[in-house]
Amino acid sequence: METSTVKQKSVPNLRPNQYKKTQTRKNYIIAYIFLLPWLIGFFSLVLGPMVSSLYLSFTKFDLLNPPEWIGLANYQDMFSDDKYWASVKVTLQFVFIAVPTQLIAALLVAVLLNKGIKGVGIYRTVYYLPSLLGGSVAIALLWKNLFGIDGIINQVLGFFGIAGQGWVSHPDYALGTIIILATWQFGASMVIFLAGLKQIPSELYEAAAVDGSSKVNTFFKITLPLLSPVIFFNLVIELIKSIQVFTSAYIISEGTGGPINSTLFYTLYLYQRGFSYFEMGFASAMAWVLVFVLGVMTIMIFLSSKFWVHYEDGGKL
Amino acid sequence: MKKIFYICLLAIMSFLIVSGCSSNSSGDGGNESKDSASESLGDSSQDESSEQSEESDDVIELRVAWWGGQERHDRTLKVIDLFEEKYPNIKIVAEYSGFDGYFDKLTTQFAAGNAPDVIQYGGNLNDYVLKDVVLPLDEFVGNQIDISKHSESMLDAATFDGKLYGLTLGTTAWGVLVNKTAFDKTGVSLPSKDWTWEDFRDLTPKLSEGLDGTYGTADFEEDGFGVFLAQRDKFSYLDGEIGFEATDVADWFQLWKDLRESGGAAVPEIQVSASQTPEQSLIVQGDVAIESVASNQYGAYSNATKDEFLLYPYPYDSETGKNGVSLRPSQFFAGNKMTEHPEEVAKFIDFFVNDLEATEILGNDRGAPVNSDVRVNLIDKADEIDQAIFEYIDLVSETSDAPYIPNYPGYNENTQLFKETAEKIYFDQSSVEDAANNYYDKLIDNIKKYTEE
Repeated sequence: METSTVKQKSVPNLRPNQYKKTQTRKNYIIAYIFLLPWLIGFFSLVLGPMVSSLYLSFTKFDLLNPPEWIGLANYQDMFSDDKYWASVKVTLQFVFIAVPTQLIAALLVAVLLNKGIKGVGIYRTVYYLPSLLGGSVAIALLWKNLFGIDGIINQVLGFFGIAGQGWVSHPDYALGTIIILATWQFGASMVIFLAGLKQIPSELYEAAAVDGSSKVNTFFKITLPLLSPVIFFNLVIELIKSIQVFTSAYIISEGTGGPINSTLFYTLYLYQRGFSYFEMGFASAMAWVLVFVLGVMTIMIFLSSKFWVHYEDGGKL
Repeated sequence: MKKIFYICLLAIMSFLIVSGCSSNSSGDGGNESKDSASESLGDSSQDESSEQSEESDDVIELRVAWWGGQERHDRTLKVIDLFEEKYPNIKIVAEYSGFDGYFDKLTTQFAAGNAPDVIQYGGNLNDYVLKDVVLPLDEFVGNQIDISKHSESMLDAATFDGKLYGLTLGTTAWGVLVNKTAFDKTGVSLPSKDWTWEDFRDLTPKLSEGLDGTYGTADFEEDGFGVFLAQRDKFSYLDGEIGFEATDVADWFQLWKDLRESGGAAVPEIQVSASQTPEQSLIVQGDVAIESVASNQYGAYSNATKDEFLLYPYPYDSETGKNGVSLRPSQFFAGNKMTEHPEEVAKFIDFFVNDLEATEILGNDRGAPVNSDVRVNLIDKADEIDQAIFEYIDLVSETSDAPYIPNYPGYNENTQLFKETAEKIYFDQSSVEDAANNYYDKLIDNIKKYTEE
């Protein structure tokens, strides 16, 4: 109410140009006031710690005594550390399997839900639910029990006469269970895909149908190209998310990354070095390498996008 | 599912405790603050606080952290209530959890400068003393702390560079927990108390055979390795020296590989899921019939099951005739060097180990009391299980043929290393010999890293 009276008052006194200027400045101030909570959080909780971790990455810091400058030694140690490379391998394996499977699952379910089935709202909620729950400690514990040696999975397999495994406690399968857990949380990408599918003009499908295009052909020639911006978006988001996965591995392996480092994710190893082995300097260096690699990967996806992402308006947006 | 249940329970309980404590504090401190809420509490609270001595104007808050199973939580909380009754001006905030993650959290708290005032440590107290975060207790000895009745060896265990850094909460010894009910079921007769590793080898496959879904024994893991070394007149690490060879490591892992191949020991998938918390341990869950435990845990394990458990000595080495088990401190209570109330910290620790009433409640959960008066008092009142623990401790102290060896420096990393080595052998990713050599080399590197400073 106040702003509207101010506006009415000021309009007649000012020349149009001047009026516009004060108005924009006022808009800026209002915007910053609304942004303030986030800005305070960003500077004190994100940027501050990031800068100090950059400094710490060049020091030997055991958390309990003051840090001691050692230059690049932490970064050099990383390259000669077998366990470090084991963690890199596990993380890449996870990313390269979990991200595509998750995206494919999300896309398939989205296409099915887009068919106009009755009760889509319910299905959407049901499939979205795991995304809300999946990252939690409770679900990780549930997973551990599901895939445990006496777990439900083995009971079901036993019913069909298949001898089960201790899935989470066997080095060949433990990572697989975490990949399944990640795939199961496809809901967030699915909802975005669904929104993307709704944007595709129905005339195109009608035209294709008139021309006698098969369903598969229509999917690859119309749906996929028009959906590519959304796929691009989901790909970047999921990549960033899954390269930083931590909770599920921490809970399922009880913080060890075992058996035999088979679930030793990068972040988990970082945590171990920092908090269990008192090497926060090394852990900080690991974090910065992760930031760097993640940045490079994202840039590469962006650069590749012009070859496969199709914008209907020519990408001018 | 059970674990989730416990976590929910714990969350609710800790919530209740926190809310309970906070309402107490507003009652005690009511006299001081002039807000209307405290006035409405009425006369009773005012009377109570005016009875307190003048110096206890402010309520002092002490945070106490420990890990353990349900049994230990219950007992410790009772003792805390008792302490608060005796010292109304000290309020205790309890911070307790299972063992997993306990030390990670503690390290984080130290880094953030908000670690608890009184902290339970295990054999890794030395790591934290090296990092200079533990409160030396010498100036309180004779004042707040009475150690006149404590056994010398247990004081030594908490003494580093001539300074006392903590009080031992109990004496314990490694032992072997045997599920008598499982033995009865299979008809395998219980072994004699001076059994050997050969007996152990004979008996465990028979147990596995006779039981459905239960294996003869769990792997004795790193704790067992320490005993195994002592049986060969060797030791892990003492005063800057490693006291064994890579071949000893190989022999130990070969012993267990043979046991698994004979069917006596649990398969890798089960062994890997073993938990340190009594309620979730393999023997309580019915996955195995024999497991290595610290004697003080006998009660917690027994109470977590309907089966009847017995406490046995370790199998003897038939060549040297040695048992290798020694008395050792179970855990310590130590102060945070940065605490604002060092005297109260000392008072609390003293109360915990010397007060007759408190130690009666605590019983054997953290080991046999180190104070001789307390021990005599406890033996008089002990129930069947505690009686068995005292008998076992007596047996070990009489026949003890091995010295007490503290943990390696860098406990967390070296324990992880041992576990990984075992797992490599479990899943055939490495031969016993290679794994043992690898372990040995890496261990030497690690110890160097932690002792360099």
